[in-house]
Amino acid sequence: MSNVIKQSGAYLEIVSFHLGEQEFCIDIMAIREIRGWAPVTPMPHTPRYVLGLINLRGAVIPVIDMACRLGMPMTEPSERSAIIVTDIKGKLVGLLVEQVSDMMSIKSEDLQPAPEIIPEAQRAFCRGIVALEKNMVCFLNLDTVIADELSMAA
Amino acid sequence: MKLSVSQRLWVSGVAAFIGIGSLVVVGWYSSSTVSGALAHSQIIDGIDRQVTDLRFANEELRLASMDIIIDRAERQVSAERKAMLETSIKVLKGGSATVASFAKSEGLAIDASALNADVDIIVKAAGEQLPALVTGGAPDAEFDKIDDVIDSTGSRIQAVLDVVSAATGKAQQREVSVAMDQAQQSALIQLLIGVIAVILAGSLIAWQSRNILKGLNAVRRSMNRIAEGDIASTVDGTTRADEIGEIARVADILRKATVEKERVEAAAQSERLSVDRERSENETERQRDEEEIRRCVTILAGGLARLAEGDLTQQIEDPFRADLERLRQDYNAAVTRLSTVIGNVTDQSSSIHSSSVQIRMAADDLAKRTEQQAASLEETSSALEQITITMRGSTSKAEEAGAMVGGTKVQAEKSTAVVREAMQAMERIESASAEIGKIINVIDEIAFQTNLLALNAGVEAARAGDAGKGFAVVAQEVRELANRAATAAKDIKQLVARSSAEVQTGAELVTATGQALRDIGADVVKINEHMISIVNAAREQNAGLAEINTAIGQMDHVTQQNAAMVEQTNAACQTLNEDTTRLESVISQFRTKLGMAPQARAERSSMHTNTPIPPRAPVVSTGFKPAIAPAQPGQRPRTSPAQKLMGRLENAFGGSPAPAKSSTLQSSGQRVSAQASPSTDQWEEF
Repeated sequence: MSNVIKQSGAYLEIVSFHLGEQEFCIDIMAIREIRGWAPVTPMPHTPRYVLGLINLRGAVIPVIDMACRLGMPMTEPSERSAIIVTDIKGKLVGLLVEQVSDMMSIKSEDLQPAPEIIPEAQRAFCRGIVALEKNMVCFLNLDTVIADELSMAA
Repeated sequence: MKLSVSQRLWVSGVAAFIGIGSLVVVGWYSSSTVSGALAHSQIIDGIDRQVTDLRFANEELRLASMDIIIDRAERQVSAERKAMLETSIKVLKGGSATVASFAKSEGLAIDASALNADVDIIVKAAGEQLPALVTGGAPDAEFDKIDDVIDSTGSRIQAVLDVVSAATGKAQQREVSVAMDQAQQSALIQLLIGVIAVILAGSLIAWQSRNILKGLNAVRRSMNRIAEGDIASTVDGTTRADEIGEIARVADILRKATVEKERVEAAAQSERLSVDRERSENETERQRDEEEIRRCVTILAGGLARLAEGDLTQQIEDPFRADLERLRQDYNAAVTRLSTVIGNVTDQSSSIHSSSVQIRMAADDLAKRTEQQAASLEETSSALEQITITMRGSTSKAEEAGAMVGGTKVQAEKSTAVVREAMQAMERIESASAEIGKIINVIDEIAFQTNLLALNAGVEAARAGDAGKGFAVVAQEVRELANRAATAAKDIKQLVARSSAEVQTGAELVTATGQALRDIGADVVKINEHMISIVNAAREQNAGLAEINTAIGQMDHVTQQNAAMVEQTNAACQTLNEDTTRLESVISQFRTKLGMAPQARAERSSMHTNTPIPPRAPVVSTGFKPAIAPAQPGQRPRTSPAQKLMGRLENAFGGSPAPAKSSTLQSSGQRVSAQASPSTDQWEEF
């Protein structure tokens, strides 16, 4: 998919959100829906970052605390929290984020690779860094982030 | 030593009795001693006889024993010998004790116990063993042995008894010689006492009888002399204390009575003669006295007649006879004394006159001071009235202030209610703010949901690709609107929060204001209390002022009475003056030798009496309210002297001349001189 981005030279639609003080973003095409926080049903024998299950119009989907998944403190859910429902390799997964900040379209060139001082395993989470005027946003590689989980869940 | 005759006889008798009594006592004593010695010698004689009996019994016992031993062949003791033995044994046993006691009393050197033992041995041998041997037919040796025992023992007893017998003989001789010595001695003593008693009694009797005879002879001689007519010489022996002295004293009394009787008779005779002589002398003297008395009476009558005419200068110079001289001296003294008294009275009356003048001066002074006092009282009264008015004003002001304070208190209470309402309004504002907050929350929620919807729309548009481009723009617009709405809601929320804080502060301030108003209310209540106290004090001061007013009224009354008293004093002075004048005119009827004639003085004093003393006007205060009763009902009403004085002073300072009135302001001394000329107008000034 990285190849697709590099070669397109076109615009890239992204949705950015906050986790604690940091700002991350994902590809808008992976998103199915954004909805408000609703209580989850916990599931036994799951990692800490898997909060539980929700009912999305009849479909049962897992909800992952992104902050916890990315090695940050657990997110405290509130009314203003949001669950981003994503489609990762055909599986629907809910991502709990603090706040959805913006929708924007960036050029492919603006996406810069992450520095190589980080080990490979960890570097796989990040597809690149989007440098904006005010701040920089980490473009998450949802395939890597969620893939293992989905396989586990499967 | 003064003894009566009977006592002297008694003394002699008692001396003789004592002599005889002592002879009897001595005789009795010596005879008792002699008889005691004789009795003792008789006892010793008895003992001697007993000793002799003992000796015989001893010998008899020995002989009987020998006889028994000799006749031992008969083998029995004859009854005759047995009786002899028993008798001897009995005598020996009975006598041995007597011998022992005698030996002890005489102190003989014999062993009484040995004697007793020997007696026992011999009695036993002769009385028991021997008869037993005889009857038993004992051998000869036994008899020899017992014979030896009896012999030896008998000889020992014999020796002892010999000694005792000799001792009894000696003792007998001794007692006899004692008795004879005693008899000889007592005879000697009796002789001695008899001689002494005879000498003593004889000398006493001789002395007493000589004494009695001497007294009796003296009395007898004196009585013989009296009987012979010699009554001048005194009786001897009257100083004696006994019966002879008594006789002598009685004789002397008889002698004195005779002497007195003769003296009285002689005196009666001489008196009769002198009375006759005196009678004739008295007759002539009486005639001479009558002449003299007549002369004296004539002179005295002349003097008294002059005295009746008031002439006190004449004295009676011609001397009267001795017993009437006192009368003349008394008359002269009376005239002199009367003259002196009249002179003194004259002096005193003039002194009284000057004193009355001084009293009047003093009364004038008093009147002046009373005027001043009345004026002062008036000023005090007006000042007091001013004070009363001021006090009343301050009292009403204080009462107004009290009322205002009450109003303030009510206002403060109302303010408290307003503050309470303000507090409630604040609370209402707070609740409204809360409502607004809720609404804002709803708006915020709507904005959030809108934002989500816009995001989803944006996502859908992006997925639609180029076909969704327009829709994406709309969704973006909607998102921005939602964001603005959320921002506005946030701003409103902040504003509402600030307003809530402000409301909180306002509520606190209002509460503080309410507290301050309550404090003011309490202070106002205290001020009200203080005002009430001030008002009460002012009322009390009012009462005090009223009392002062009353007191001043009484003082004014007293001043009026003082003025009346001054008036009475003046009248009394006038009367006194007149009386003095009358007194002097009465006294002037007498003529005396003392310096100035009373007549002249009477003329001089009439100068004062002619000066009439005008009556003083009573002091009447017009400035004072209390009604003052007049001191005397008949007094004329006048205006206050103080006011008059003040009016006069005003005139004086106003420039109008008042020459006639200036004299009233002069000193009292000048006033007296001014009174010499009749100027009653001065007194009308007051």
